[in-house]
Amino acid sequence: MLQAGDWAFVLDNFDYLLTGAAVTVGLTLTSLLLGFLLGFPAGAVEVYGEGIAQRIVSVSGVVLRGTPIVVIMLVLFFVVSISKSAFVTATVGLGLRSAAYQSQIFRGALQSVDEGQMEAARAVGMSRFEAIRHVVVPQALRRSMPGFQNEFTIVLKDTSIAFAIGLAELLTRGYDLFTQSGRSTAVLEVFVAISAVYFVLTFGTNRALDRLSEYYAIPSGESS
Amino acid sequence: MTLLRVEDVHKSYGDEEVLKGVSFEMDRGDVDVLMGPSGSGKSTMLRCINRLTEIDSGGIWLDGTPVYDPETDVNELRQDVGMVFQDFNLFAHLTALENITLGLKRVLGVPEAEATERAADHLAQVGLAAQADSYPAELSGGQQQRVGIARALAMEPKLMLFDEPTSALDPELVGEVVEVMRDLAERGMTMLVVSHEMGFARSAADDIHFLDSGRIVESGPPEQLFQRPEHDRTSEFLTGLQSNGH
Amino acid sequence: MSAEEPSVADEVRTTVTVDTDRPWALAGLVAFWGWLLLRWTNDFLLPDGLAFPSDQSFVPAAPFATAAESLGATAASLGVAGAPLDVVAGLLGFVAGAIPSLPSLARGAWLTIVLTVAGIAFGFVLAVPLSVARVYGGRGLRWLSLSYTELIRGTPLLAQLFVLYFGLPLTQIIREVPGVGVGFVPATAVWVAIIGFTLNSAAYQAEYIRSALESVDAGQLTAARSIGLSKVDGIRYVVLPQGLRYAIPGWSNELVYLIKYSSLAAFITVRELFFQAESIANDTFRYTELFVLAALFYLALVVSASLLMNLVEDRTAIPGIGGKRQA
Ligand SMILES: Nc1ncnc2c1ncn2[C@@H]1O[C@H](COP(=O)(O)OP(=O)(O)OP(=O)(O)O)[C@@H](O)[C@H]1O
Ligand SMILES: [Mg+2]
Repeated sequence: MLQAGDWAFVLDNFDYLLTGAAVTVGLTLTSLLLGFLLGFPAGAVEVYGEGIAQRIVSVSGVVLRGTPIVVIMLVLFFVVSISKSAFVTATVGLGLRSAAYQSQIFRGALQSVDEGQMEAARAVGMSRFEAIRHVVVPQALRRSMPGFQNEFTIVLKDTSIAFAIGLAELLTRGYDLFTQSGRSTAVLEVFVAISAVYFVLTFGTNRALDRLSEYYAIPSGESS
Repeated sequence: MTLLRVEDVHKSYGDEEVLKGVSFEMDRGDVDVLMGPSGSGKSTMLRCINRLTEIDSGGIWLDGTPVYDPETDVNELRQDVGMVFQDFNLFAHLTALENITLGLKRVLGVPEAEATERAADHLAQVGLAAQADSYPAELSGGQQQRVGIARALAMEPKLMLFDEPTSALDPELVGEVVEVMRDLAERGMTMLVVSHEMGFARSAADDIHFLDSGRIVESGPPEQLFQRPEHDRTSEFLTGLQSNGH
Repeated sequence: MSAEEPSVADEVRTTVTVDTDRPWALAGLVAFWGWLLLRWTNDFLLPDGLAFPSDQSFVPAAPFATAAESLGATAASLGVAGAPLDVVAGLLGFVAGAIPSLPSLARGAWLTIVLTVAGIAFGFVLAVPLSVARVYGGRGLRWLSLSYTELIRGTPLLAQLFVLYFGLPLTQIIREVPGVGVGFVPATAVWVAIIGFTLNSAAYQAEYIRSALESVDAGQLTAARSIGLSKVDGIRYVVLPQGLRYAIPGWSNELVYLIKYSSLAAFITVRELFFQAESIANDTFRYTELFVLAALFYLALVVSASLLMNLVEDRTAIPGIGGKRQA
């Protein structure tokens, strides 16, 4: 099945695939950033908010977490038509969905910070907001690291689903390579090659984030 | 008649020699108590006897069977040796009754109905007939430990090992477990007990072995060891125990 | 597994929490399942003579379209004051546009469920040995199991499906099997998808089960061995029954994940829910109706699965082990 000639074909198109990998990485970063910017406040609203704001956040969270990412992307592309650019559409889709997950990560982390921390902060005269900002949030952010790490790899892998809206990221380029070049014998080689790239990316990020969370961990068994 | 023979047992974990040549013997029906400071190797000694851990040299014989012979089937051997743990280790997903029937059914191949009947008898003997359908999380520590004893007894072992069976219990629950153990001793069970429960040792033990840094430094009947200890280490340790309110 | 620990373990890939005490949500679910079951019975089980035509909706779309039109006209004549009416007209129009596609979506939903259930069930069969090997196996087995889970979890599911469908001669082999694609037996692509989901889900489930097994106290196996159970029996009768209960929350995650990601099977031509929605949308240009409808279908399935798993968790809970409301 695997043939030397087809490997050569993969090598010939190395640049083409590498550009795809760059798009994949770029999309991952923009999506995660959007997800963080929206998801962090959303998590706080779920914990500390009340009334209609909290309702809206939690219902949109359920909708975003309960719908396949491919459906979300197509809704954004064809129904909402937020942008002609597949990259922007994919960013918004992955970003919104990631926000829904990141809000859960932060919510759990905020709730896991001991009540006593809040009381102690209030006792030294901080306002509720100050206590949240200076005492609870810094601890919660550290506790979110494992969840965030997980989210990172999920988004990275799910960028491949932008295939559905024709974004020329890594997987799409792999697909195009064997459908358009008439090189159908190279299918396996192409997909093994791009899978390897994904693997290196996820594995690499995971190890890097492991390091990071070790570095930022609070001593005395706080890190899991 | 010798039931258990422990001969010059050496055992190391990594570089640390935990047992440095331990020897003793127990006759059928004997009740021996193993005492000694924390880390002296008491638990390790017990775990060597039913081969939950391997020894480096020396030998152990149970009823003439060499425990460390490659021919010996460990699973069969362990049926003959009951073990009671400090933190009970009841099977958390099974009721008190099922904790006992599991071994009967899966190890001894006793049919369901008979297993249930026998298990119920064993529970009754430790005074827990009414708790048969309770899960471990629903039982007090003392009750859990009594189930633990019944579970071990149900396999009809020749020898019972107890590893600090009362030290995880609230003081007011110690009595009920000691009661069951004393009862068992009176009925002639051979028991090797790691415990610092002086009351039990004084009234039930035939011999007490004092273990320190992997060696038995002194052995003898309770009166002798408690009243006229020969070694300084022994008397120091016993004084410590008494002043700690044991 | 203390209660205040947030569920941020690195294996958790999805979480959908739903309030069960919202009556309208529950009513919607009941209506959805009632209709779906009726539709399946009609389309798959009833003989042709008795059945409602399988490509025809139970409820005609025309009345809704007419109502939408006349309401829209009224709204327009009222000017600004007609805005609420206009919204209602829009909704009616949506319903009218959605109705004709319902039979196809019901058929797609069936396949979605088949893919999900098969993936999780077969995946479980692989996951148990994988996780046991990981926790109790020797070096070689541990390494093998670890490599498998890392490789699968480190690459996108869509890429895995492409490898299986385009890259390997799987389709040729399955196509030769007699009976494939006949009657109730799914077509070739469905089998490839099931293989893909099984292999993928096995890796994730193995992770859930591994961490659950590791959370079972080591004393449990020691105690099992001390009464003479062999290691295998101790794992089987003592550790696994406890570990699998701890794994239920992970399992709920996995079920939700598979329901959603089974949509990727559309890209290897499996006519599941998303495939149906997209192909009708492309034919009719009714993108809004179809994608919103597809989203609603998936939501209903996901929420149902969460409710089901909560039930399972409560049913299998034992004092001290598992159950949401336990300490
Ligand atoms: N599985 C193991 N691996 C490595 N070292 C061990 C292991 N089990 C015990 N040890 C070490 O062996 C020594 C003796 O341990 P052991 O548990 O037998 O002592 P003990 O007399 O039962 O103490 P305690 O009264 O605290 O229960 C200790 O230093 C302990 O750290
Ligand atoms: Mg000990």
